[in-house]
Amino acid sequence: MARNFLAAQDVCIVAYGETRIDRRTGRTAYELAAEVAEQLFAGTGLKPGGIDGVTFTVPLSECANPFWSNYATDYLGITPRWLQTSDIGGASAIGNVARAAMALQNELCETVMLIGADAPSSKWSAVYGSYRNEFWEPTGIQGPPGAFGLLMNRYCAQYELDFAGLGALAVAQRNGAVVNENAYERFRKPITVDDYLTSRAVSTPLRLLDSVMFCDGANGLVMMRTDRARELGFENRVYPFAYSEITNFACAEQTPDITETGFSVAGPEALAKAGMSPADIAMFHPYDDFLIAVMLKLEQIGFCERGRGSQFLRDTDISPTGALPINTGGGQIACGQPGLAGGGVNLVEAVRQLMGEAGERQVPDPANALVTGIGVIPYGRSWGSSNALVLVN
Amino acid sequence: MNKPAPKPRPVPRPTENTRFFWDAARRGRLALQYDPDAGRYQFWPRAISTATGRRNLEWREASGRGMVYSYTVTHVPTAGFEDRTPYIVGLIELDEKVRIIGNIVGVAPGDVAIGMRVRVVFETLSDDIDYFAFEPDSG
Repeated sequence: MARNFLAAQDVCIVAYGETRIDRRTGRTAYELAAEVAEQLFAGTGLKPGGIDGVTFTVPLSECANPFWSNYATDYLGITPRWLQTSDIGGASAIGNVARAAMALQNELCETVMLIGADAPSSKWSAVYGSYRNEFWEPTGIQGPPGAFGLLMNRYCAQYELDFAGLGALAVAQRNGAVVNENAYERFRKPITVDDYLTSRAVSTPLRLLDSVMFCDGANGLVMMRTDRARELGFENRVYPFAYSEITNFACAEQTPDITETGFSVAGPEALAKAGMSPADIAMFHPYDDFLIAVMLKLEQIGFCERGRGSQFLRDTDISPTGALPINTGGGQIACGQPGLAGGGVNLVEAVRQLMGEAGERQVPDPANALVTGIGVIPYGRSWGSSNALVLVN
Repeated sequence: MNKPAPKPRPVPRPTENTRFFWDAARRGRLALQYDPDAGRYQFWPRAISTATGRRNLEWREASGRGMVYSYTVTHVPTAGFEDRTPYIVGLIELDEKVRIIGNIVGVAPGDVAIGMRVRVVFETLSDDIDYFAFEPDSG
């Protein structure tokens, strides 16, 4: 196994920020980035001149601009000495934590602001090339819900899927959004398992309440080396402790089992690097574009056996005070997905919890968190990028 | 605010690499890329073999037969599919051991099943493009 470059806890997260998530705001990713940057400046006492490293996730709403990160840092008054925009979609948020850690360790910069900001419910600028025009769009497949419909149906043919287990996850995440003032306001009311089971079919067997909804929003972190954080008096620190990432799992195979995903590699590897087993994980903050993605991760990271994910969700207390708290703030499905800044929703909630600032949804004394990311819907498989980050405090 | 005009179903724009595929489709044949070095087919078409990293690829007319590896019944249509709802999108495993996404037609959504045998059919999208779909293959 590769060396764990995060084992020494020599870099840390000292602040987080998040805007409210809302739909069709008419705001731009620049304006949303400015709102979260203001929170991060205020939370650290830093000014734009004090930031010398920046990461972004490429936004759906601004990706027609090939110089997004130049424009956005100029907009914020930041002069980066290290600048990184990641385009692994929802895997970018925790991917950028790992990339920022490497930049800090190698002294390319001293203080990194990690920003995700996107407004796809107000503006859409994504155009895909490759196979999309010829072999995807003319088939009438309903984008990500269609791809996940194919994935879910195949899972149903190979295993026993108890939809009530997915319903239990939908209910638990909604409960998180009810007590999360940043969640999309319309979603801040509880639902029942029956609401999930009777929600309308989008692309069978995938239902409306299996799915995220595009919204607008931004989130972010500030990272620096630990020795510097101590000198500057940042007492509430969260450490990235182990990380693993894989893109295009099994992509050269022509007839793979599509229910097997990159998490069968990235999940166990991240845990092994941390010296942990699934039983050691205090809370799980999985990227949740669709409920079944969370379930497949539980299986492939090793929280339960293959084929038993829905039963695990049905039978496990996943509330903040339960055996395995999952997406305590509601995740993206219950808060709304701020486009490709969505990965930051799960990440920021994990950091908020580890800093002990989650209010009435606070997990009692969490020692660590496992956060995951998913990026990109590929042709006839599950998803493109899978990554896993262990955080400790 | 004016209601925007409905968008039509997207029509493929062939590239240098995919011209053979669409020419074959107009003849009612499904063509697949074959890698003679690796001895295997690949789909979707691209300008390199994902097995060998070489551009040594040839086009072969395929059987057009396979089985339903998975499917989904679409209730929220995409552009140009509004009058077909609900319609079936299948992930088809062809007998040449590649998978291809396409509509499954000629069968009611309630009667399609994973493992069902299917064969290719074509529907005309434009003067230049006949687009593949699949229908039950009774043998």
